[in-house]
Amino acid sequence: MRLLYLIKKEFIEILRQRELVFVMIVAPVIQVILLGYLVTTDIKNIPVNIVNLSSDKATVRIMNRIINSPLFDVKNIFIHNIDSLEVLKRGDVKAIILFRDNFDKKKSFKNYPETQILLDGVDSNSSQIAAGYVNGIIRNFIIDDINRYGLSPLIRGKPLIRFNPRLRSINYMGPGIVALLLSIIALFITSLSLVREKEQQTIDTLLMSRLKPIEIYIGKAVPMGIVGLIDMVIGVFVVVLWFDIPVRGSFFYLFLSSLIYLTAILSYGLLISVFSSSQQQSLFFSWFSLVTFILLSGLFTPVENIPKGMRWLVDINPLRYLIKIIREIFLKGNGIEYFYRDLLALLAITLVISSISIFNFKRFISK
Amino acid sequence: MKRIKPVIRKEFSHILRDPKSLIIIFVMPILMIFIYGYAISFDLDNIKLGVLDYSKSDISREFIKSFLQNKYFKFVEVKEDEKTPDLFEKKLKRGDISEVMIIPHDFSDKIKEMKSTEVGFIIDGSDSNSANIIYQYNEMITFNFIKRFQDLDNILKIHTKVYFNPEVKSAFFFIPGLVAVLLLMVSALLTSLSISRERESGSIDLIFISPIKSHEIILGKTLAYIFVALMVETLIIVFSRYWFGMPVRGDILTLLAFSLLYIFTGLSLGVLISISAPDQKTAMLITLLVTMLPSIMLSGFIFPLSSLSPVLRGFSNIVPATYFLKIIRGVILKGASVTDFIRDGAILLFMSIILTIISVRKFSKNRDRGT
Amino acid sequence: MADNIIEIRDLTKKFGNFIAVNSISFDIKKGEILGFLGPNGAGKTTTIKMITGLLKISSGSIKINSLDAEKHRDATRMDIGYMSQKFSLYPKLTALENIEFFAGISGLTRKGISEKYTEIKKYVPENLLKQNIEKLPPGIKQRVALFAALLSDPEILLLDEPTSGVDPEVRRNFWQEIYSLKKEGKTILVTTHNLDEVEYADKIVILHRGNIIVEGEPEGLLAGSGKDSIEELFKEAVKENEEN
Repeated sequence: MRLLYLIKKEFIEILRQRELVFVMIVAPVIQVILLGYLVTTDIKNIPVNIVNLSSDKATVRIMNRIINSPLFDVKNIFIHNIDSLEVLKRGDVKAIILFRDNFDKKKSFKNYPETQILLDGVDSNSSQIAAGYVNGIIRNFIIDDINRYGLSPLIRGKPLIRFNPRLRSINYMGPGIVALLLSIIALFITSLSLVREKEQQTIDTLLMSRLKPIEIYIGKAVPMGIVGLIDMVIGVFVVVLWFDIPVRGSFFYLFLSSLIYLTAILSYGLLISVFSSSQQQSLFFSWFSLVTFILLSGLFTPVENIPKGMRWLVDINPLRYLIKIIREIFLKGNGIEYFYRDLLALLAITLVISSISIFNFKRFISK
Repeated sequence: MKRIKPVIRKEFSHILRDPKSLIIIFVMPILMIFIYGYAISFDLDNIKLGVLDYSKSDISREFIKSFLQNKYFKFVEVKEDEKTPDLFEKKLKRGDISEVMIIPHDFSDKIKEMKSTEVGFIIDGSDSNSANIIYQYNEMITFNFIKRFQDLDNILKIHTKVYFNPEVKSAFFFIPGLVAVLLLMVSALLTSLSISRERESGSIDLIFISPIKSHEIILGKTLAYIFVALMVETLIIVFSRYWFGMPVRGDILTLLAFSLLYIFTGLSLGVLISISAPDQKTAMLITLLVTMLPSIMLSGFIFPLSSLSPVLRGFSNIVPATYFLKIIRGVILKGASVTDFIRDGAILLFMSIILTIISVRKFSKNRDRGT
Repeated sequence: MADNIIEIRDLTKKFGNFIAVNSISFDIKKGEILGFLGPNGAGKTTTIKMITGLLKISSGSIKINSLDAEKHRDATRMDIGYMSQKFSLYPKLTALENIEFFAGISGLTRKGISEKYTEIKKYVPENLLKQNIEKLPPGIKQRVALFAALLSDPEILLLDEPTSGVDPEVRRNFWQEIYSLKKEGKTILVTTHNLDEVEYADKIVILHRGNIIVEGEPEGLLAGSGKDSIEELFKEAVKENEEN
């Protein structure tokens, strides 16, 4: 009963701060949409230069395929050799594609130009993909061409892309963004809540009241939990409707795992709140933690190859499990039998974080 | 100019007497480089591959071997029986494997008869970028394999040469980027707290009524922190060089010269935030938001600018990190020289001048109103 | 000594090496107004927080109604109403919502809470009660804070700098309020750094750098020392304390 008054108060406080209401209701929509566009990671429009030293007619046709491909943004076409190293150093183009006549006149019935791809290897990911694209374009051209002479390669790969057949990166990123959103809002608002009470000195009255520490703790966590779940729903809706991402799995597990994760993040936020003496400090800690959680979550870059010494940082990161689970639910329509291990790991981490948080909260209260 | 000195001196003693912020300023970047330097990587080796070989012939085994000899693939061994396809389906769904290769039973016979055959590749497409790379690898390895039977070698001649990062490791792509992100954040944070701190403590009133000119205060505050930010940068670069073995191919002085411009941009941004924000808390929040997010998302730090939509690419032009990222990657990893980046350097300088002018104007206005 | 409601013996609080309160002892009688004086940083708030149980005692003892406050904190807290320096009200809540909240967490029933609503309306105009605390003038905030501290009807009232930042007229009204509370039988401890407020107190304790430097009834102290005002007495005592 006493707890209800605390929860009601927290709600009123949240709703009266107009900037908080904005952060909680309007910002998620904007954030999800903006982030959705930001993390569209399809490698396309790769800036390249073409150097054509070949006299072959086929070269022109290959070049046209490259120019017309959305994958490349051809900046310049030269018909004389250029200092590739210098051009790549400047960083305006990621690759230089160079065509030469194939002087190896050995027995081949038809000649195609010899191609050299000069890559700026700094961004290893895009340059690898770029090289692959060039290879693919030329290979397909040649295969099409030799087909006319009744010749075809013995083995052709027949790819079947599962779960995301059109290879849209937003399908992969969208669900992750919802998890991201949940973390940002929940962490910032909870980490501030107790510090604000310290600054207002209202914490003294709370502590002097008959409320037990655990009641105060729950009273702080429950309203934020509800707000977080509402945001989760908003986020899922926006991502699904705006970006047209399929949800193949069960909403029940989507919300169950989010709820567990939310508990972890709320406890963590309250832990930060206990240790911070000003709102500024808690903002800083939340920020730092959040960036670490995100970069080590597999949201942007794969986490499978992180060296062993750093592995544990990934394994204790609750966001990693949530992202994995909700991606599976969204894209693969997996049921609990596929991700129960991740869910259990998330649950275990949540329990540990909550216990540490409650323990420190109690200690702080009985100081 | 004479009056700038006391401002600088005062800011310095502020920095030195606040060990907590000093620790945050110096330790945090190292910590971040350390964690993220290890953790952020695009490298895609160990693609886990499941194989369904219905041909079970010498040729099919050779074909599988050519995949495994490639360092990118890792074979996932399972006991083969009629349940294997279901097992692979499960593993694919769970994410334990990324690809299943299916070799048809007539594979070997067709090849012997020199007839075309197809090999199925089921790829987990959830992560579109990885799927793309996996697809390319498949094509490349398959094509190389055919050369044993068909003389296509002379038809398709493609040589690839990778400059600057021959092992195609992504770590060295990220570390200079991290330097750019952290440097902007630290420099903006340093100054952004300075004026709001004075406002909270009320000392701003004393400055308002003193004879010092507005631009002198702004410049003084900026100059004091240039030194600190440069130290932070040197620390990060030395750490990356000796801890991660990041190659430094270019001229350090060139880098420092451009860094000065970039730091100046960050500091002026901080001053402007500081003048506009009502208190330290807000100043800090705004600084983190306007420095970290765009520097990570809109500068080409993780994803290439070319994959952004045109509107966002337009935005990336006003993010200072976009220019510095190009410079620092160029100088450190490619050994580029000053002349390669004159335009980018000029833009950074232009940005900081504009920011400083706005700051001075705003500060004078506040001064007139006394707030 | 049955009429001592609070007994403090050798109370000490250390923060690291810094001694904030240095072995002080004093009593408060039931129904008494004790003026707790001293400059900023003398240790007044620290002492009050130890009485409330918000701060742990380094050494010494506090007895409230003959119960050891450290051991029986839950019981003794029931007897204490506390109003802290910044009034400790929620700025984003209205005055009524603040009262509802504080009454709710002190265990009042719905009926009890609506009775309190009627009661506060006697002191504060209704339209003000419906405004957010942050928009109210300090005098009203102070009134609401005092009301909130009294919600659980405690025997003892601890007021930490209740009159700082309010104008003299509000301050006079406030003291009248304190007097009527005294008549109801409440025991009140008030800290202040305004020396001219001591005329209202039955007994004063002056704290300086964690030590009690003056203790007694205002008239008696003045008569005994031959000084004209408490201010002179205070200055003299501070000087002596600093020399030691």
